[in-house]
Amino acid sequence: MPAGDAFTPDQLYDIEKAVRYAEETSGLHFSVYVGGADSETRPFAIELLNELDDPDRTVLVYVDPAGRRLEIVIGELAKRQLSDSSAGLAALTMQTSFATGDLTGGLVTGVQQLGTHAHQPPMLHANDEAHKL
Amino acid sequence: MIVELSGHSLLVFVGIPVLVIAVLALLVFASSIANGPRYRPGLSWWAPPVWINGPTATKPDPANLPELPELTSAPGSTATAATGVARTLGGASASW
Repeated sequence: MPAGDAFTPDQLYDIEKAVRYAEETSGLHFSVYVGGADSETRPFAIELLNELDDPDRTVLVYVDPAGRRLEIVIGELAKRQLSDSSAGLAALTMQTSFATGDLTGGLVTGVQQLGTHAHQPPMLHANDEAHKL
Repeated sequence: MIVELSGHSLLVFVGIPVLVIAVLALLVFASSIANGPRYRPGLSWWAPPVWINGPTATKPDPANLPELPELTSAPGSTATAATGVARTLGGASASW
């Protein structure tokens, strides 16, 4: 891999695959940022979320490897599908992997977990006239 | 008693063990050499920022990001549920 890059192409592919899985499962947008923060991590992560195209329906995972901080920010509408406690569980999963130096594994597992928790089962017969009240 | 070693003896008793050790060492370190520098918690981070599924395909420049407000709550040392600062955002924080 090129010197100085955070991830190899294979690792990037794995993370992008996990992001796609989470998006297809939940219908939400997922974004992952790995890098340092100029200030406190939480406001920085919120600013990153606001830069995205649809921040209300987006889940942002922010990782600061140097500061050893992780932030999961859930948009206003996405919050209906993904609770803070679910995000906390995913954060714990990622935290465990990050502590051993496995950034890729932590991100893949954590993002998949977020997508699974945000999954909403399809409403069967929702458009069926016979089942409408 | 001093034993004089011939070139052939040196090759057998020194050359071959050194070769075996070198091959084993190469096998052990091959994966880490191929993967490049690895993230080690507590040490400095060397890589530029990576934004996967970000607003654009290019990597962001943190210098161009807007000024940020002060953090009102102190960050916890363990994974805790956190509330949004400006809007009613959800999420969680963790450190390791």
